[in-house]
Amino acid sequence: MAPPDVYLGELEQLILLVVLRLGPDAYGNPIREELIAAADRHVGRGALYTALERLEVKGCLRSTIGDPLPERGGRARRYFAVTAAGRHALRQSRRVLLGLWDGLESTLEPS
Amino acid sequence: VSHPAPEPPAFAERLLQRALARSGYADSIVGDLHEAFDQIVRLHSSRYAAWWYRREALRLMLRYSMRDRRGATRRSPALPQSGGQAMDWLMMDLKLAMRALIKRPLLTSAVVLTLALGLGTNAAIFKMIDALVVRPFSFRDVDKIVMLVESVPNDGSRRETVAPANFVDWKRRSAGGALERLAAFEWWDVNLMGRDVPERALGFYVSADFFRVLGVPPALGRGFLPDDETPGRNRLVILSDGLFRRRFGADRSILGQSILVDAVPSTVVGIMPPGFDFPLGAEIWAPLAFDGKTAALRTSHYLSVLGRLAEGHTQTEAQAEMKVIGERLAHDFPDANKQRTIRVFSLPQGMLDAGLGPVLSLWQAAGLFVLLIACANIANLLLARGAERGREIAVRLALGSSRARIVGASMIESGLMALLAVPLSVGVSWAALRLIRAFMPPRVVRFVAGWNDMAVDWRLVAATTVLAALAALIAGVLPALQLSRGQVAVALKSDGRTGAGPGRQRLRRALVIAELALALPLLVTAMLSVTSVSTYLTGWQGYDPRGLLTMRVVLPESQYPDAERRRRFAADAIDRIAAQPGVDSVAATNALPSGDSNTSRKIEIDGQSIVDPSNAPRVDYRAITPAYFDTLRLPLRRGRAFTSADRADGSPVAIVSESMARKYWPARDPIGSRVKIGDIWVTVVGVCGDVIHDWFDRRNAPTLYRPSAQAPTEVLMLAIRTAADPLSLAPRVRAALTAVDPAQPVFDIMTMGTVLSEKTIGLQYIAGIMGAFAALALVLAVLGLYAVMTFMMTQRTREIGVRMALGASARDITRLALWQAARLTALGVLIGLGLAVMLGRLMVAGLLGVVSSDATVSIGLALALGATALAASYLPARRAASVDPITALRTE
Repeated sequence: MAPPDVYLGELEQLILLVVLRLGPDAYGNPIREELIAAADRHVGRGALYTALERLEVKGCLRSTIGDPLPERGGRARRYFAVTAAGRHALRQSRRVLLGLWDGLESTLEPS
Repeated sequence: VSHPAPEPPAFAERLLQRALARSGYADSIVGDLHEAFDQIVRLHSSRYAAWWYRREALRLMLRYSMRDRRGATRRSPALPQSGGQAMDWLMMDLKLAMRALIKRPLLTSAVVLTLALGLGTNAAIFKMIDALVVRPFSFRDVDKIVMLVESVPNDGSRRETVAPANFVDWKRRSAGGALERLAAFEWWDVNLMGRDVPERALGFYVSADFFRVLGVPPALGRGFLPDDETPGRNRLVILSDGLFRRRFGADRSILGQSILVDAVPSTVVGIMPPGFDFPLGAEIWAPLAFDGKTAALRTSHYLSVLGRLAEGHTQTEAQAEMKVIGERLAHDFPDANKQRTIRVFSLPQGMLDAGLGPVLSLWQAAGLFVLLIACANIANLLLARGAERGREIAVRLALGSSRARIVGASMIESGLMALLAVPLSVGVSWAALRLIRAFMPPRVVRFVAGWNDMAVDWRLVAATTVLAALAALIAGVLPALQLSRGQVAVALKSDGRTGAGPGRQRLRRALVIAELALALPLLVTAMLSVTSVSTYLTGWQGYDPRGLLTMRVVLPESQYPDAERRRRFAADAIDRIAAQPGVDSVAATNALPSGDSNTSRKIEIDGQSIVDPSNAPRVDYRAITPAYFDTLRLPLRRGRAFTSADRADGSPVAIVSESMARKYWPARDPIGSRVKIGDIWVTVVGVCGDVIHDWFDRRNAPTLYRPSAQAPTEVLMLAIRTAADPLSLAPRVRAALTAVDPAQPVFDIMTMGTVLSEKTIGLQYIAGIMGAFAALALVLAVLGLYAVMTFMMTQRTREIGVRMALGASARDITRLALWQAARLTALGVLIGLGLAVMLGRLMVAGLLGVVSSDATVSIGLALALGATALAASYLPARRAASVDPITALRTE
């Protein structure tokens, strides 16, 4: 399963990174909170879930259902994990970005 | 602390679950939100949390509904090829339009609100017409009921009530034809006595077939039978459900019993079902019985005649048959019936108050003006937005979108807004109708059939929807056409800001001019009706209406058969009332100014020969007690007032009004002249001032006064002058009258102010509704001008920058902008003046000269409108002038 290059949007990159950081606790609410805390990105719930779904469709994320919990009205959490394809895509994005940055540091140095 | 944790709002949760149904994550998302909700509850209050939850849920739903749409368009081929192509496009355009509306909440709500006001007021007037003119009666087969009137050919609009002999002939000669039955009715208001406090009730003498013609049988007991129409055997009554409950406690044993009606024992034979009060809120009915003399009367016209169409026959057939009968009667009785014809109307048309139609059409016209203004405003808003979207549309055109589709898409947008406005508009109608109903005095309401049916119903909703579609078309089509006509290349090159071509500018200006032109006539007509109401209520009456209490007593003939008894009652009543504390003076007459009734008599002036005996001069006739002029403060101009010396056995005297003196004795003093009234000659002893009796057609009507001691009447209208609050005297005065004769009801106890107000209630409604429309039109037009000026100034920012860079001062710029506004305003107001003159004429014609059009009012209002419009443009002008030229030049 070596997927062809998947292009990742900025929000998608952030989400994948946050999911990696959160490890086993990565479900909707913490992902959103972490996006706010670590990346200062106030993402609406709708945008977040549609992005998560999109990432799963692209094969970058995989989700598993936990146990039903009373504090959720008997509903289960959906935990997300980054797939190999997701890691690959992240690495690729990083490479592209760094390549582009190369030689521009001095130009963009804050004066 | 272990109380159960609050749960998220269940309804919102269910709704959300449903909206997310197509997402694989639905459960997890709802669960996440639940968890977050618990946290919010802990941090804030549970009320805040519930609000928060609803907001989040709504956002999610919106997001997902949009994603679904996007998903759908992505999945479908770029250009749908299937047979459902048009449908797919429509769906896509609908979705796009919906998104566009959501994206611009301010614009959307401005449009929706404007539309709702315009539509709602129109729908309310529509419902008034529907309830009062089209279907005021709710009888089951109302289409089968017709009304028959006599008419004089050389005056086609005049309808006359029917002479008894003619009715009898109609009935006989029409038998077996298109009309199954005919029934007549005649006004008969009565005193109900015995039991309890005596009261006045509105009743009618009706043919035995009356209830069968209407198709409404009594709920209890029986209806009238042909045999009941025999004089002497007609002491029977049928009661309305309301009267039955109010006066007889709904006691069924009243059936077959005798009650006192005008002091005559009458047997109750039936009770009508609840809600039946035809005609005019009647409460009691008795058989109409003609004695031989009455049945032969062909020159007194006082019967109203109803007919019921036979099965399978139409009104047209009935009209044709009656025409023949009418011609034959004219031939058989040339003296009375020459040139008389018979006309058949539908029941609503026949019962329609002649003044109502023109007034309602005036309102509907005014309403449509307002709606047009609203449409112009909306078109303008859409144009402004279109200008911003010029580039988007140019791109669509460049990519191969057809112009028809772009027009269609734009129409869909305005259509959606119209649809959104419908429920809001129904709310506006509901409120408007409630307000309209609330101001009607209950004493008047019963005379207006259908008044209480003025409420929101499916007809109103349907009318609103149709109007909304129409408004969407009017408001949407102009901007749409304008947009699709854009030059692709030009629009693509520009940044959209300057995307307003000269054509579009012209259209916006035209719309503003139209708004102002439509608003002015409404302002003028509203002002005319408001001034006429206020002149009638507070202006000259010929007497002093303040501090007057009025009331009415009608003496039944059975108890007061002769003049002497009536005279004694009046004298007694006046003595007792005058003795009450607080009463300054008291007088009686047969008809007070502005009262419901009027009496006129034929006269003959001594020494002036009568040219045409069938058209003898008539004057208003009043029988008054000596204190009448003092009590009303009606000035005596010359001669003397009546005194207690003018007794029945004294020489007969009269006082004439100034208008009568002018008309019949133009060259000389009438005092000492003789006038023949009835069979006796009376001598004029004084001349008094004029009064307004009826605002509509008898200002300063020639009036002749007689001392009531010499000509006592059954109807006594009492006027009491007091320095105190007039109504505070009512109980004591009533008690004083009861002491004279406990059997007679005293009714219509009102201050003169209330009398005047009720008399002008129609006019007040006209003024109120026209005023509301005018206010609405004014606000919309001024807002429209403001919006257009703001927009145009923004569009010209660059130009203004250049001007300022070249040395124009802020004042120059302001003047430039105001000059532009002034030209628009002047043109609009000028056209408006033309329309105002036309509408004013229509109003004068429709309201029988109650209002008079007045050039100064029109011009004054035109100036005021112009000033308001300029004031509204001042702000955008100032803003334009305060632009920093550097920023202005950089905007591109």
